[in-house]
Amino acid sequence: MRPFHYSRPGSVGEAVRALGADPGAEVIAGGTDLVTLLRDGVRAPSQLVDVNRLGLDRLSWQPNGSVHIGAMCRNAVDDSRLRRAYPGLVQALRSGASPQIRNRASFGGNLLQRTRCAYFRLPEFDCNKRNPGSGCAALNGDGAQTALFGASPSCVAVHPSDCAVALVALNAVVHVEGPAGARRIPIEEFHVLPGETPQRETALRRDELVVAIELPPAPPSHYLKFRDRTSFAFALVSAAVAVEVSGGTVRSARIALGGVAAKPWRCLAAERELVGKPFTAPSIAKAGDAATEGAKPRPGNEYKVELVRRVVRRALTELGNA
Amino acid sequence: MSEQGIGAALTRVEARDKVTGAARYTADVVLPGMAYAALVSSQVSAGRLRSLDVSAAKAAPGVLGVFSHLDRPTWHRVPAIPYFGETRMPFSDDRIHHAGQHIAIVVASTRQQAAHAAALVKAEYEAGKPVPTLEKALPSAYVAAQGNYVNFPQETVRGTPEEALAGSPVRVKAEYRTALISHAPIEPSVTTATWEGDELTLYDTSQAVVVHRGLVATAFGLPEDKVRLVCPLIGGAFGAKTHVWGHTLLVALAARRLGRPVQVVITRKQMFTTTGHQPPTVQRIEIGAERDGRLRVITHDSTNSTSFVAERPENTVLSSVATYAVPNLRTRVRLARMNFGTPTAMRTPGDGPGSFALECALDELAHELGADPVELRRRNHADVHPQSGKPWSGKNLLECYRIGAERFGWHRRDRRPGTRREGNDLIGYGMATARRVEHHRAAESTVDIRTDGGVVVRTATQDIGGGTLTTMIQVAADALGVAPDKVTITVGDTDLPPGAPTFGSITSGSNGSAVRLAAQDARGAAIRLAVGDKGSPLHGLAEDAVDVRDGRLFAKADPRRGETYAVLLTRNRVNPLRGNGKYSPAESQYETSTFGAHFTEVRIDRDLPRVRVVRHLAVIDCGIVLNTKTARNQAQGGIIGSIGVALMEELRQDPVSGRALAPALTDYHVPVNADIGQIDVHFVNKPDHNSNPLGAKGLGEICSIGVSAAVANAVFNATGRRIRDLPITPRRLL
Repeated sequence: MRPFHYSRPGSVGEAVRALGADPGAEVIAGGTDLVTLLRDGVRAPSQLVDVNRLGLDRLSWQPNGSVHIGAMCRNAVDDSRLRRAYPGLVQALRSGASPQIRNRASFGGNLLQRTRCAYFRLPEFDCNKRNPGSGCAALNGDGAQTALFGASPSCVAVHPSDCAVALVALNAVVHVEGPAGARRIPIEEFHVLPGETPQRETALRRDELVVAIELPPAPPSHYLKFRDRTSFAFALVSAAVAVEVSGGTVRSARIALGGVAAKPWRCLAAERELVGKPFTAPSIAKAGDAATEGAKPRPGNEYKVELVRRVVRRALTELGNA
Repeated sequence: MSEQGIGAALTRVEARDKVTGAARYTADVVLPGMAYAALVSSQVSAGRLRSLDVSAAKAAPGVLGVFSHLDRPTWHRVPAIPYFGETRMPFSDDRIHHAGQHIAIVVASTRQQAAHAAALVKAEYEAGKPVPTLEKALPSAYVAAQGNYVNFPQETVRGTPEEALAGSPVRVKAEYRTALISHAPIEPSVTTATWEGDELTLYDTSQAVVVHRGLVATAFGLPEDKVRLVCPLIGGAFGAKTHVWGHTLLVALAARRLGRPVQVVITRKQMFTTTGHQPPTVQRIEIGAERDGRLRVITHDSTNSTSFVAERPENTVLSSVATYAVPNLRTRVRLARMNFGTPTAMRTPGDGPGSFALECALDELAHELGADPVELRRRNHADVHPQSGKPWSGKNLLECYRIGAERFGWHRRDRRPGTRREGNDLIGYGMATARRVEHHRAAESTVDIRTDGGVVVRTATQDIGGGTLTTMIQVAADALGVAPDKVTITVGDTDLPPGAPTFGSITSGSNGSAVRLAAQDARGAAIRLAVGDKGSPLHGLAEDAVDVRDGRLFAKADPRRGETYAVLLTRNRVNPLRGNGKYSPAESQYETSTFGAHFTEVRIDRDLPRVRVVRHLAVIDCGIVLNTKTARNQAQGGIIGSIGVALMEELRQDPVSGRALAPALTDYHVPVNADIGQIDVHFVNKPDHNSNPLGAKGLGEICSIGVSAAVANAVFNATGRRIRDLPITPRRLL
């Protein structure tokens, strides 16, 4: 670990200025990911800007039924209205990490956590994300955890968040503030695919701060996570689904996958299979098949294709039965 | 169960300290003037160090010294294998044999300064081409020469195996693989070294202070009595602290050079790369049998990886040699070198991976024959040791099968795979036999009875979490006739009478026998003192006319006539009255083993197939049980560990460099609480006095042997899929 400066601003403006003044500065929120990256020599910031005292830890319901979740709300958030309105989100949060980690981890930090790709996390390997231009050792390495969708020759890593997958299905908007003021980024545009710049993972500029996540009113939702052990493991494949049914017919559907791409992967083809159809086993089966459209399996991750199909089917079936 | 101690379900004596944080572990040792070390690890798997620039590290704040191969450490001699893991001493040259190899040690005033400076050491490598994996090493597999490390036959032939195979009406043949797995104890390895002149004291996370003292003395060219090893409580080991590893010697070296105490707590990553692991194995088994299920022949060919600085065969084949009555047999163990750290004993060495292969093969045979797996095993029960022909010292395996099948409800198993369902779940039952050779070690202990009636047991064994402190107290209390709460124990220090190592399941039997002998010695001396003492109410009685209970000696014929140890010793001014116990295992006419049977129920969602062990029942025959509470706890832990081996444990390697891909507890999966269903443990609990004076045998390993096979067999019963590679992850079931 390299020595670094530590600052604890008292306002969002002050935090943004601190980030702008030091190109080597990084934000620390719950620290559940960043501390391990520091320890392992993956990150070596010159300064940590602690955002725990900016008053960003509030949940506020809006008159139109939407909710603003402060970026520093913890992943352990326990709010009955949130549970009723967005069951898929709360299920996603509960499926992540362990209670101790959820007590520390924040919403903003959850979106900005780094990939679990071993080749990124171990500095002895070449990694374009950690060290741009050094190459990608995962290309010829163990492919079990790699991406099915949206990968590039420079990076095959996947995003590890559960929460972000649910947020895509729930059509969330990320509120950020920077030197030029506030802006709103639709969740689907928040994370970006690696292309040739895998070091760039989000649309967030380096002197911008995530301040809140906005959720519009949403139809019934559900999250299903499949992994190697019952808890405290990242998803092999997960799916968040939000489906509006009226008069026996699906009016709208949003389906997002976790564990398969550098961002939560929205399955438009699967959504199309549902909309206008009855919410029954045959259309659910078709949606599961359609969710695999465009998958480009790599050696070692072929199993994920079938898993996508099954996880989507199960998630939709469970939502239908709920 | 004795009311005086043996078998009683006592809570561990150190339990309160552990849960309140009062317990002191090796990393809690703080000595005046102590400095802190950090080890620098090789980034490459093979080749040599072209250069090592330590200037920035030396100039970093707080740094007291940086040492590497450039300082040419003068080791006196390479300590004897096996309990020093490697043939190469640390820092002896610029060669790199595995990623993570120690290439420098940095010592500073604080832990953080040491860690920071270690990151400033710049190594340039001339990288070689590594042999990354066992798969890539297999073509060069070889049979090791019978040597120091190799204390079992690398090849065994019984009868005429090839002819027997050719003539067998039923044959099964399969290849099984087990994964590279890691001990992953919560407590990392820690060493604190301090010198006074030529005398070295090491506070070390050691599973065998007595054995390790000799090795350290050899490395530094010291007489053994100039080295003291102290090991307070250990926070888990599972074999990782069986051997002396490089960091222990390097810290002693740095402490000597700097003239002050030095401590190292190795990093989690270094735990995965420098303190051993269980090597991956590839095992081919072929079984020939009669149609009635009687075994004619087993061939078992096993290859495991080893490092380039140690030859360590994994004794998987002993399962096939000694478990069943089979007239013809051929076994062979081969080694294949890869550029990874050196493998070591990990619960359970040999029999863990070996029983997976053998017990799955037996299940395949049962399926082929349409026979019940329990019945097949009964039919092939070895009434005597199948290789030596000697009788067993004690064996209750048939009882294990009977009790296990009954309690588990084995009769509900449907032998047609994939037929039992409940909702989305497929349900399967599986079972396996467990057998392990019981090892014996010389051990000594003293037991002191004091004038206040208190008792002190002193023996240089150590408690690695299995409950040794408590069970040794119970053994002493039982033999002396005092309440266990009158007894205290001191262990983990070579200044004490040499005790047994805490590995290989030998503590209960061997160290327990030493404690028992010492306590009997003290009790006998007290009785002699009383009957010869005119002041004693017991004066004049024959020694065997006296008994002791609750610390009071009394005439068997008239229990009112007697006095306490305290009164007797006080009057005679004997404080303490010391009993000595020396257990020396002798050549035996018996073969001694522990046995067991495992029964397991799995449920598997047919669409999202993750195996859940919802129910596991083990029946274990390990002689008399010293403490039913710590024993059950240890057995449950061993079973849970092995469920992890069956379903998730695997230290995956990069196929190009061979480096470990998940040297961290986040990604190296062991079971979490939610993975574990109901686990029942039943003990046969019959003393085996032919094994040792105490009649207790080891439990630490027998409880985990066969579990992975029972799980795999249950997976077959549930799904019809025979998974021959561990771990049985969802990926392998899709």
